Amino acid sequence: MTASAGTKLESTPSAPAVADPAARAADARPAVVRAGLIWTLVRTDFKARYHGTFGGFFWALLKPLTMFIVLMAVFSFLFASNPTYKLDLIVGLFLWDFFAEGTKSGLTSLHARGFLLTKARFPSWILVVTSISNAVITLAVFCVVIAIFLIAAGHPPGVAALVAFAGYCAALIAIVIGFSLGSSVLFLRYRDLNQVWDVVVQAGFFFAPIIYPLGILPERFHIYLYLWPPTPIIEFSRAALVNGVIPTRAAHLYLAADAVICLLLGIVIFRRLGPRAAEYL
Amino acid sequence: MSLGFVMSLIEVNAVSKAFWIPSVRRDTVREHLLGLLQPRQFQRLQVLDDVSFDLRPGEALGVMGRNGSGKSTLLKIVCGVYPPDRGRVHVRAAVTPILELGVGWNPELDAVDNVLLIGSVMGLSLRQIHQSMDEILTFAELERFANLKLKHFSSGMSARLGYAVAFKAVREVLVLDEIFAVGDAGFKARCEERYWALRALGHTVIIVSHDPRVISSFCDRALLLEGGRIMMDGKAHEIADRYVSMLTH
Repeated sequence: MTASAGTKLESTPSAPAVADPAARAADARPAVVRAGLIWTLVRTDFKARYHGTFGGFFWALLKPLTMFIVLMAVFSFLFASNPTYKLDLIVGLFLWDFFAEGTKSGLTSLHARGFLLTKARFPSWILVVTSISNAVITLAVFCVVIAIFLIAAGHPPGVAALVAFAGYCAALIAIVIGFSLGSSVLFLRYRDLNQVWDVVVQAGFFFAPIIYPLGILPERFHIYLYLWPPTPIIEFSRAALVNGVIPTRAAHLYLAADAVICLLLGIVIFRRLGPRAAEYL
Repeated sequence: MSLGFVMSLIEVNAVSKAFWIPSVRRDTVREHLLGLLQPRQFQRLQVLDDVSFDLRPGEALGVMGRNGSGKSTLLKIVCGVYPPDRGRVHVRAAVTPILELGVGWNPELDAVDNVLLIGSVMGLSLRQIHQSMDEILTFAELERFANLKLKHFSSGMSARLGYAVAFKAVREVLVLDEIFAVGDAGFKARCEERYWALRALGHTVIIVSHDPRVISSFCDRALLLEGGRIMMDGKAHEIADRYVSMLTH
């Protein structure tokens, strides 16, 4: 159990003397209970958001798909000289959609599920991490869509490209989890943080090279764009999947460091502020 | 504190808790930025001050006190919902709390899904919850509303469901804030019956209540809190009497 400085709040789950051995014998293992809680949170989140139907889920997929069609219709004329523009756009757009949706859900996760925090003592990070499950499911579906597009366009990805892309997705998920952990506890103290983040996400959409190729900007500006976490993930994914070029080891090290720093920063903020989260609900 | 050879299930040693109340509340980034040049005054509200007690297996402990005496904060610290500022709480058993009934449901989910959610949080496995689902719904008299979303439930129906889940989830220590404060006479009678069944099985209980009758009838021992400190620790009926005289004098 975590606690603030100078505090001792300890727990030893095994009781020394309870006159109900049958009840204790029936106790489920903590790992089983935790797995059940995670599954229930994922399932009920899906159900509440999509009205419990796959139709509702596919309806939700229409938003990024429509966005893709509109952007492609407009910008493919502007970047007509780039033969892989459509593929670059779909890779960038779907990865961005996961980033935007995941961070928005994660930011409000503790507040939205705060009613559970005051019910009992359990690891509250589960509430935050499971809140991005819908975005992960959507990302998985979009990965299949991307693969279909690549094959249809005559760019079937090789095994190395798919492995690299899986790594980039893992890094993106780690970044979103790190952001969610940190921002979810801060949101309880600053209740307009979601509005601030909405503005950042809107600006970030244009700051990341989603609808335009990075190459149209002078090279001296690239380093600044790479500081925005979605940028290296989008660029590396395009390189691997569309161009069949695996980025260098140094590039991968940069991305790994980016993901680890985001995740650790989120964990540090969560561990510091999380124990008092219930006091701010 | 140690009581002979019987190890306490819960030990609360010198626990203190304070909240800082600002003169102006600022909950947003905008308010903090606009108020940068207007520093706030903070008032320290000492909710609990050097509170110590222990709870032995099978004991039923009542907690009484006026509004603002620190009862609910003490329960939340024992349940691990709030961390104490100072002191130490040692919990050697699984604690099942029934706190703040009526709030704590996902209104967009039906009763079955909410039971699965709250049951999981309270430490039951999915298999255990599914096996107990009918019993839980029957206890709450909500069999007909199993697939109705909670947003259509009355506060009484939600509270009954809360009791039903918690009574099923109890493993060792049950913590109750204002016991049996909901439902009609029939439901209260079932709660009382279930309570005594749990006591007969050896479960340990902490009850917070303003009702002297509840403390005298359902507890062996009680604490009287006043201003965040333990004013008296003794037999339940003595504490109940003292509480009544405190209110009437």
